[in-house]
Amino acid sequence: MSILQITPEGSRPSGDTLAPLIESLNRRRSHMAEIPVDRLLALLDEFSGRLLRDERTRSLEGIMFLAAWLRRNNLQRLLELNLNGNPAYLDGFVSAGRDYLAAKPQGLVAMWMAGNVPTLPMYSLVPALLAKNVCLVKLAYPETGGMDRLLAVLADCRVEGLSGSELLEAIAVVWFDYHRTELNEQMSLAADAKIVWGGRSAIEAITALPRREHCTEIVFGPKYSIGVIGRERLEQDADPDGVVAAFVQDIAIFDQRACSAPQTIFVERNERYSLNEIGEMFARELAKLPAKPALDAYTTMQILSARAEWALDESRDVIASDDGANWTVCMDRDVVLKEAVQSRTIFLTEVESWWEIIPLLGPKVQTVGIALGRLETSQKFAEAATAACVARCVRPGIMNNYESPWDGKLLVGQLVRWVTLKP
Amino acid sequence: MADHNNVRSTHPTDVAERVDELIRGPQYAMPQAEKDAVLVSILRVLCRDVAGRCEPYGRFLERFGGDVDAWQSMSDVPPLPVPMFKRFLLSAVPPEKVVRQLLSSSTTGRQPSRIVIDKTTAFRQARALTSILKEHIGPRRRPYLVLDAPESVGDGENLTARGAAIRGVGNFADKTTFAMRSLPDGNLEPNWEGIESFFAEHQSGPVLLFGFTFIVWSRFVTEAERRGLRFGVSEAVLLHSGGWKKLTADAVSKEEFGRRTAAVLGCDERCILDFYGMVEQVGTVFVDCEAGNKHAPAFADVVIRRPLTLEQVDIGQAGIIEVVSTLPTSYPGQALITEDQGMLVGVDDCPCGRLGNYFRFTSRIEQTEIRGCGDTFAQSRELR
Ligand SMILES: [Zn+2]
Repeated sequence: MSILQITPEGSRPSGDTLAPLIESLNRRRSHMAEIPVDRLLALLDEFSGRLLRDERTRSLEGIMFLAAWLRRNNLQRLLELNLNGNPAYLDGFVSAGRDYLAAKPQGLVAMWMAGNVPTLPMYSLVPALLAKNVCLVKLAYPETGGMDRLLAVLADCRVEGLSGSELLEAIAVVWFDYHRTELNEQMSLAADAKIVWGGRSAIEAITALPRREHCTEIVFGPKYSIGVIGRERLEQDADPDGVVAAFVQDIAIFDQRACSAPQTIFVERNERYSLNEIGEMFARELAKLPAKPALDAYTTMQILSARAEWALDESRDVIASDDGANWTVCMDRDVVLKEAVQSRTIFLTEVESWWEIIPLLGPKVQTVGIALGRLETSQKFAEAATAACVARCVRPGIMNNYESPWDGKLLVGQLVRWVTLKP
Repeated sequence: MADHNNVRSTHPTDVAERVDELIRGPQYAMPQAEKDAVLVSILRVLCRDVAGRCEPYGRFLERFGGDVDAWQSMSDVPPLPVPMFKRFLLSAVPPEKVVRQLLSSSTTGRQPSRIVIDKTTAFRQARALTSILKEHIGPRRRPYLVLDAPESVGDGENLTARGAAIRGVGNFADKTTFAMRSLPDGNLEPNWEGIESFFAEHQSGPVLLFGFTFIVWSRFVTEAERRGLRFGVSEAVLLHSGGWKKLTADAVSKEEFGRRTAAVLGCDERCILDFYGMVEQVGTVFVDCEAGNKHAPAFADVVIRRPLTLEQVDIGQAGIIEVVSTLPTSYPGQALITEDQGMLVGVDDCPCGRLGNYFRFTSRIEQTEIRGCGDTFAQSRELR
């Protein structure tokens, strides 16, 4: 088995070279560049509606959020934010006084996806398509993870002047073994822009590939996310369970494998709840989740090791599900970012004040879920955290909601070439 | 059966006697159902006893052990993950009672496992290994060729896994010869002259060889093949252990290992015996039988657990290997979950006639790419 191509009909072997796919994508570039952005938005809006109705896609993990994200209003706002306030730059020169400005496609965007989130490819594919690029997407696994079904539903969409199957001509989704250096190179050398999602080793390998000088490289991950529960919030809130339940949602989704999922949550010492009581609240909420469908042996061992480590250590404590490696709450006062175990394993760490966390933050910390109390406190925290390179400070419950900017980047803005005309 | 469960084993001293009985053997004669009852009744007492003398383990047992008196099967005993011996010194005896520390052969920069051994445990480990091997290779002593360097044995107080195994198998030796030299860079170099003269001297009689699997393969078998050497010792028995990981990377199957090693030695393939064991449970080894399956000795057992649910797998299924042993008294090594995966091949019905659970090692547990972009860094340990 060498290259697999993922199509609306499923996956099929596709030879031993990417050349024909790259060639046909390149042939499609001029056609793609001529589609008005409004038609693209209309088609994606139609796609959004179908995703929730179609039984092939409506039960995919993360589909509700994807559908909401694809709505015309949302993407319109995203484009405005990304493109200097005016998506019309995508359709041609827009005058600015005597001068003109336009946003042209980069060309061919090559994407290396991570395996953790089934709907993840859409979040780079759609921005690339809105910028009118042609896209070569490499999945992390030969199992399509629902991608074939997403493409099938897209193929059925149709709006005035544009059909889903027409748009699909600008997309090639493939899988090949990660170790096939020559194929990775072929893909990298064909790219005008590269988008890489993944863990450290994947990113190191992909960014080391040869590329053309003009090629833009956009890297997402590896990142770590945390939460903070503040004293103010705990002492004033009548319902701290709501905060905990929202964090547990962030923990549950994508089995805590996304870079935006909280791994360590810091809790400010307060007059109302001990760390252990907060731990019990987390345990109660985690116990309400439906059982996990499966787990690999490696993560199982990581979970068992974390549990044992927190039980053996006198200064730590742990609460865990009694039905196997389902969920685990580890508690201590060690002010460090704990190694991510994932799969419903949360580390609660007591701090005197959130200021103690700031020195731990850096460019590797992406999202902080904040439940701090007053707006003023949140702003003060966000100033300090983002100065330390954190990308997002958001309320619990929406930590994994993909939005623009992401990882500090406005993606559509990076997938266009800004061009000028001064007649 | 009620007898096993409730009456006989309520005190550590009674339990010690019963463990000694099991060590004496026979090793593979007890049907699994009976063995379950016997071992669980011992573990209830033993684990609680160790928990009383080792505070950290006491906390662990309290969190995860449930009602110890209600333990019904081996899978009720909460297994301690093997990596914990790298992170904690888990001792159930005062320092003056420690006769030896066992260390895992650590890769550079990694913290090795440290296992403290008291007199009782040391004695049991030696007796147990002898008792097991006797049932596979017979009781008599014979010339012993160690496919390793003398330096690997180490001193008496701090023993590595390799050293412990070399010594343990040495109980069947009447004369010991080391086949390799340790080079200044840490590599091993076979002393071919010495090896050839050992085989020449003992051509006709039985000989015993032992080495770590990867060393046997990379330093002995493949180099002997390259040199065109065939030793023709038909009564050789080679025991080997550990290090399949590197061989799997070289795509050497267990079958190929057995065939080519036997060809170099000139013995039957069935005399190439792999055993599974770890430094955290020295003395407790799971030796290959003639059918290529690993069997648990009378005083120990294997539990293959499903990921996620941690329930025991059904026959024919693979899972995480847990090793259970009644030998240790000086540290909490009674039930250890390993970083290995194996398959439960069957119970009580191996073609070789040995009773109890039998299994095969399949692979180390490796990290999978599935961990995705949230998998970042070991900040906690790097920072401290
Ligand atoms: Zn057998």
